Amino acid sequence: MLTRLHGGHVVDPVNGVDQIGDLYLEDGRIVAPPEGRSPDADYDVSGHVVMAGAIDIHSHIAGGNVNSARLLLPEMHRSIRARLDGTPLSTAKWSTFETGRLYAQMGFTTVVEPAVAPHHALHAHMELGDVPIIDKGALTVLGNDDFLLRALRAGESETAIADYVAQTVEATGTLGLKCINPGGAEAFKQNMRSFGLDEIVPFYGVTSRQIFQSLQRATGRVGIPHPLHLHMNNLGVAGNIETALETIDAADGLPMHLAHVQFYAYGLEGKNAFSSAGARLAAKINANKNISVDVGQVMFGDTVTISSDVLRQFNSLSGAIPKKGVIFDGDANGGGVVPYAYRISNYYNAIQWAAGLELFLLIEDPMQVFFTTDHPNGGPFTTYPDLFALLMSAELRAQWMERLPADVLEMTTLPSIKREYSLYEIATMSRAGPARLYGFEDRGRLDDGAIADVAVYKQQTDKAGMFRNAALVFKDGELVVRDGAVTRYTKGKTLRIRPGYDRAIEKRLDAYYDELYGLPRSAFDVPEAALAGKSVFAEVACRN
Amino acid sequence: MSNATLDGKSISSEDAYQLAAKILQAARFPLVAGLGADVAGAQAAILLAERLRGAFDHLASRDSLADLEVVRSAGVFVTTPNEARVRADVVLLVGPGLPTYWPGIFDRLALDKDTVHGGETKRRVIWIGPKRGEAKVEGLEIETIPATEAELPGMLAALRARVGGRPVALSAAAAKKLDAHAQTLKAARFGVAVWAAAGLDALIVEMLQGMIGELNATTRFTGVPIGGRSGATGVLQASAWMTGFPPRTGFGRGYPEHDVWRFEASRLVDSGEADAALWISAYDGETPPWESADIPLVTLGPAGAATKRGLYIAVGKPGESYDAVEFAQETSSLVLRRATAPTELPTVAQAIEAINARFSEDLPC
Repeated sequence: MLTRLHGGHVVDPVNGVDQIGDLYLEDGRIVAPPEGRSPDADYDVSGHVVMAGAIDIHSHIAGGNVNSARLLLPEMHRSIRARLDGTPLSTAKWSTFETGRLYAQMGFTTVVEPAVAPHHALHAHMELGDVPIIDKGALTVLGNDDFLLRALRAGESETAIADYVAQTVEATGTLGLKCINPGGAEAFKQNMRSFGLDEIVPFYGVTSRQIFQSLQRATGRVGIPHPLHLHMNNLGVAGNIETALETIDAADGLPMHLAHVQFYAYGLEGKNAFSSAGARLAAKINANKNISVDVGQVMFGDTVTISSDVLRQFNSLSGAIPKKGVIFDGDANGGGVVPYAYRISNYYNAIQWAAGLELFLLIEDPMQVFFTTDHPNGGPFTTYPDLFALLMSAELRAQWMERLPADVLEMTTLPSIKREYSLYEIATMSRAGPARLYGFEDRGRLDDGAIADVAVYKQQTDKAGMFRNAALVFKDGELVVRDGAVTRYTKGKTLRIRPGYDRAIEKRLDAYYDELYGLPRSAFDVPEAALAGKSVFAEVACRN
Repeated sequence: MSNATLDGKSISSEDAYQLAAKILQAARFPLVAGLGADVAGAQAAILLAERLRGAFDHLASRDSLADLEVVRSAGVFVTTPNEARVRADVVLLVGPGLPTYWPGIFDRLALDKDTVHGGETKRRVIWIGPKRGEAKVEGLEIETIPATEAELPGMLAALRARVGGRPVALSAAAAKKLDAHAQTLKAARFGVAVWAAAGLDALIVEMLQGMIGELNATTRFTGVPIGGRSGATGVLQASAWMTGFPPRTGFGRGYPEHDVWRFEASRLVDSGEADAALWISAYDGETPPWESADIPLVTLGPAGAATKRGLYIAVGKPGESYDAVEFAQETSSLVLRRATAPTELPTVAQAIEAINARFSEDLPC
């Protein structure tokens, strides 16, 4: 079936397009205007903006820790309305089904779950398989696992570590590596209550710095398209800007992605010894083109923090709102779930909000900085439209700033920033940039041959409203959203890489599991048979 | 050959699925209960309950909910059996019957072996409130804190009090003994408590977790829960990601509502609120707990366990006669269990799918 979207304002930064034009979709792909054929379906999208489907690079939507959060907080997600025909469980709040529906309605068609524990990978994939419509991907967490730490202690070769990394990513069916407070979770098991960049993991004799540097090199050696995705030490701690700056130096010019950096943009100024260091961090990022970041913007409201940084989450427990949480010491990272409420009247929360916006607005290249609220840690992904609006209007930001505690404005440069994002920059940050970041060659763009994931938004002054309810969304060329409502489910794919490596590592791992756990390693497999009928995998090419 | 019976008499599979669809579709508020199934079976069953705007419950919900009540009112510290195995230098076993609820417990936790991570040390094992004779395990040195089931809550509370340095109303000798155990817990490097909610109530679990929380002020201490029978934990996980809630959830309003009293299976049947039931018990053919005998009933259970009354459709045993994803106690994760003795019987999910396909068209999808 040939579909035409005509007369829309097409914004496609990958191809430098920012003008009125037509778009043709056929057999799930974007195609060149066919000669001598009239479309089977024709949509007049004049007065609308046409973009590729958006890509969320970091959103905790699936897996054991997310599910613990659901069970911890039944009061947070009472459902209120019945669903439409053909969309089972789509109004079941915080369900996998609702997640797919809500993302699709905002024009997002690909989402990456960034924290899959290798021993719980099958669980994460089971959940991802129940997320309809959108395509999914995931990152595998290493850096607190005994096998790696032992290998580093023993001074093993980079080749051996690369083989281990490649095998683990392949076995867990993901797009690459995430490293979360490297060594910190292991140190916490040994009763350390804080863990810095150059502190030593007891018994292993390695530092956080050494751990992520080795994973960074392994990522390059294996040819994983996505740079190492690092959740740094000292998240949320006043003065942690120094950790962030030192970590960027430690990246040593090699590619690295720093997750939710807003949570590291804190100085020690002011009477509360807590200030925004967003401007300093942005300047450092501008000067280091090997670094990409996502922001982890704080949006005011009730939420829950879900993180595999179990040490940090343990330290957060005393400030939980409401006062409860789950602390899980996993086989490697584990995780913690701690509810929280960000309040506009709270000095610290307001600093966090301002620091995040400073990062968005002061990082010059929109290919280097990405949308996230670190869902749900800074706020739920459903606040993205409000965030788009804030970035696009200095006046709107000024209105919000009037409501912040007065002393906050002295501890941030936000009031002085007048920059407003254009639609082109929004598309760069939410489409072109994420595609490049993950090595997706056929999404996040609108040229011939690209996957026909397309979002159409009605032009309006209320930018939040515009992005909250897409007028039309096509997934693989099929219409799935009309006037902000999901009209039907389609099955998304799960994207993964299949790196090559020396299979000898498998025998070594078999022996390791047998000796340490007395279990066959296959107990932790993600067999495709287990996911039959739920999600099909699609491959993303490696770099070598 | 058919694997279905109606009131004990063999009927064809086709007739059975037709009749099951008719019974469930005719109900105003059907109940999907038992739910003794693998994850795929649970997924199918929950979607069925949602489509019919009925409710669902699991046969061991009481046990899952005892733990969950603590999670959602106070929070918990938990770890995996693997971590306990390689790291726990102090293991506190809590309550009677642990090897019944988890037959592999001693082997899996390797209590007779030294720890590996965080330094190699011999473990200390304390068991509070074992059954008589239960704490005598060959090759294991277990210190016991004797307590009958009735005494267990008080004894655990006293232990927690002594961990926190608070006074207890025990004899000097008993307090001294308890102090020694409290000292062992406080001196743990990475202590792990193991309990089974099936043998405890929520207040005991909360007491235990409260003590663990206090121990974490100075050292590391956490817990390994032993999950409920008949796939309870795997079903709980699927229920959570699909609906946001554990079992005992209803869809009468077209969206999930969770209420541990309102959607409890026996109450729904015995009160007459549910007017038809699908009972699933694929692991061992456990029978429904309700008293009412006249509710129209469709049962999915093992071959050879057909009921004399109602419609019975035989299904395979998850992980034995067909490949099944389920929650593994030994790893506390979802795993794929490969069939050890494959049969031709349908899986739970297939049987439900077959019923689903036979609803008349006026039931929206």
